[in-house]
Amino acid sequence: MFRFFGFRALRAAITIVMVVTFAFVVLRLSGDPALLIMSVDAPPEAVAAFRTSWGLDEPLWVQYVRYFAAIFEGDLGRSMRDGRPALDLVVERIPATLALTIPALFIKLGLGIPAGITAALHRNSLLDRTVMALAVAGFTVPSFVLGLLLVLLFAVQLGWLPSGGQESWRHAILPVVTLGIGGAAVLARFTRSAMLEVLGQPYIRTASAKGVPWRQVVRGHALPNAAIPTVTIIGFMVGSLIAGAVVVESVFSWPGVGRLLVVAVANRDLAVVQCILLLVAATMVTANMIVDLLYGLLDPRLRNAPRGAGG
Amino acid sequence: MMTRITRRATFAAGAALALPRFAIAQADQRPSITVAVQKISNANVLEPLREQSNVGERVCLTSLWEGLLGRNYQGQLQTVPVLATEVRRISDSVVEFKLRQGVKFHNGDEFTAEDVAFSFGNDRMFGPGGPNSSGTIRVGEANPTRGGKELPAEVPAVANRSFPGLERIEIVDRHTVRWINRTPDVTLEGRLARYASEIGSRRGYAEAATWLDWARKPVTTGPYKVLEFRPDTSLTLAAHDEYWGGRPPLRQLRFVEVPEVSSRINGLLSGEYHFACDIPPDQITGVERNSAFEVVGGTIPNHRLTVFDKTHAVLRNPLVRRAFTHSIDRQAIVDSLWAGRTVIPKGLQWEFYGDMYIADWAVPRFDQAEARRLLREAGYRGEPIPYRLLNNYYTNQTPTAQVLVEMWRAVGLNVQIEMKENWSQILERSPTRAVRDWSNSGLFSDPVSSLVNQHGPNGQQQQVGEYANEEYNRLCVELETSTDRARRRAAFRRLLEIGEREDPAYTVLHQNATFTAKRKEIRWQAAPAFAMDFRAQNWGA
Repeated sequence: MFRFFGFRALRAAITIVMVVTFAFVVLRLSGDPALLIMSVDAPPEAVAAFRTSWGLDEPLWVQYVRYFAAIFEGDLGRSMRDGRPALDLVVERIPATLALTIPALFIKLGLGIPAGITAALHRNSLLDRTVMALAVAGFTVPSFVLGLLLVLLFAVQLGWLPSGGQESWRHAILPVVTLGIGGAAVLARFTRSAMLEVLGQPYIRTASAKGVPWRQVVRGHALPNAAIPTVTIIGFMVGSLIAGAVVVESVFSWPGVGRLLVVAVANRDLAVVQCILLLVAATMVTANMIVDLLYGLLDPRLRNAPRGAGG
Repeated sequence: MMTRITRRATFAAGAALALPRFAIAQADQRPSITVAVQKISNANVLEPLREQSNVGERVCLTSLWEGLLGRNYQGQLQTVPVLATEVRRISDSVVEFKLRQGVKFHNGDEFTAEDVAFSFGNDRMFGPGGPNSSGTIRVGEANPTRGGKELPAEVPAVANRSFPGLERIEIVDRHTVRWINRTPDVTLEGRLARYASEIGSRRGYAEAATWLDWARKPVTTGPYKVLEFRPDTSLTLAAHDEYWGGRPPLRQLRFVEVPEVSSRINGLLSGEYHFACDIPPDQITGVERNSAFEVVGGTIPNHRLTVFDKTHAVLRNPLVRRAFTHSIDRQAIVDSLWAGRTVIPKGLQWEFYGDMYIADWAVPRFDQAEARRLLREAGYRGEPIPYRLLNNYYTNQTPTAQVLVEMWRAVGLNVQIEMKENWSQILERSPTRAVRDWSNSGLFSDPVSSLVNQHGPNGQQQQVGEYANEEYNRLCVELETSTDRARRRAAFRRLLEIGEREDPAYTVLHQNATFTAKRKEIRWQAAPAFAMDFRAQNWGA
């Protein structure tokens, strides 16, 4: 168990270092924060003063080393826009994002998994085709298009719901549904594929031939085995809880981490971008580790397999 | 002992609780308004010395901040008195201001000469070194920026650029101040009407725990005061009922940040927003298809330019740059991309320049034959000329660029668009820098505010190494320092001749415009600027 965690923790640390380094290099080489934050119309002296005060006039490697040294001291830096600690800015946006992504996750699970199972159990029927047609539609329509369509219908035409903002729980309905539908469609397709693959296995035929009731075959043999690829997808969804609503937050003017990320990238507000990336990477890595643990619980062969013997 | 709750007592208690609210509601029938904007503030502060952007002007000017002098937003942006009632020139370098009496700050304090001295003083503007001091404080542990009252390094830089000659403010009496300049300056009155010259409360600043606290909730004299500012999200202003200009017409004025155009329009149509700003020209027809709505607005004091890098191998020859300027059918751009809702100005100047406005000046005429002749004379053989372009940083920027490239191609100029992501990539000095876009604002009522400020020796174009011209630079200095109005006017005309005709630094395409969608029933007039005026004289009139 220690080796299991140790290996994954090391891999996670390397991943995070690579993410942060990549973001630093890309962001710093692709734009001057001083010009972006102060605007191109600001007096040249003001832009120069800004650059100097934030150390942007120093060689890139010096900035990089300084940034990393600060991280190891627990200092994630300050926003160049208003000087506030980047971590404070990010942390205060997390509840808003989770207010969308957690209910959306429940919609994804509540709609996607039953839809996928139902479609698989009624393969090639009208029900299967209808569910899959809806899933393909939900999967392929970009979230900003779906969001705008929902706004046109429920806010502009019917006037039932607000079109954007974060004033009340009613403001969350359309963004949550937009996020939920897309994710449910993905989950439905994966669940159906996984179920179909399992339902074609010899042990399913054997169980049926032995006279085990179909309901029990599905519940006892098919579902646990089909859960592995589905759990992988759910792991990604959980990992993207913090920054998985970038587009939807922009469409619905929802002040969460996603919008903060867009603004920070546009302004090359490096500390804030890095802070969000660190959080996202940490969440994603943690979710992956949990998924790895769940694999072991779901499939005893993986739990007992020696390292290197089949992943 | 148990208290017995009777039905009568319950009603009485309920009525007692409800009555004050009802009474307040009865007393204040003024509407609350929500305005959807693309961006509230770039720097996430409301201090004009730090928030140097058009969008900042929209929320800061007329609603929140006021200066000694200001601009006529219901007219043509002429300089008008605001917190000063009388302006008297004592000499070429000294101006005396009589201050408006009875003005109250949002904290209830009376506005006095002390507040003027504070507003143009070291604490708020210039830092410990005073005006014209240099030296940048680095952000670091010794100075956790904005942790205390230290000014962000850019604030003194903005202040020094805005008021380069200020020596000190002299308090004559409680309601009289004198602006003492180190050098003669005929533009002082104009400078004091510009964005960045607004007055704040000395006590309000002293009581703010940090500079950031001040910059997010400044105490000013404007008709509305900050109730809540949520960066990147919303700004809620409440009526300042002791406003010297009369009771504000709105109980509450709320700006919400809605980055997507479609979301702003949808929110307007669904009734959530009363105003939706930053509407692109191609959306105007769509909004006005609904008879309950209209799009208002128009030109703002900002011109769109095509800028040349004189050091580029091909553009080094002024004949080629002149060919560029003659091959643009500006009216076609205005008609097709702006639905005719903006204008082609008379070069880089505005009518509010007053007697410095050169009324008989014009942008180079559209003359393809002349452009071809110039290219022949220059010996141009179709060498590629890069055009660094941002994707719609300015309204209609990309379609305008595509139209321009075709217009240039029609006379033989081989201009090739290179898409860039941001301004540092646009301005990066390299042999491939040749043509780019820009816009210039008329910050106050004198050409120093635009032509000298943007294209002179200390302006961006020369600072990034795109342009230099000895005579041009000499005339810029003369324009800034001379007090002889006739000579200044002659210098300005000559500057236009050099910069727009003989040795072009840029060419003006059209005036920029901004459009705001609103319900037709709201009687409100858009200003010829970014600022949105919600004062009494512009509401329901």
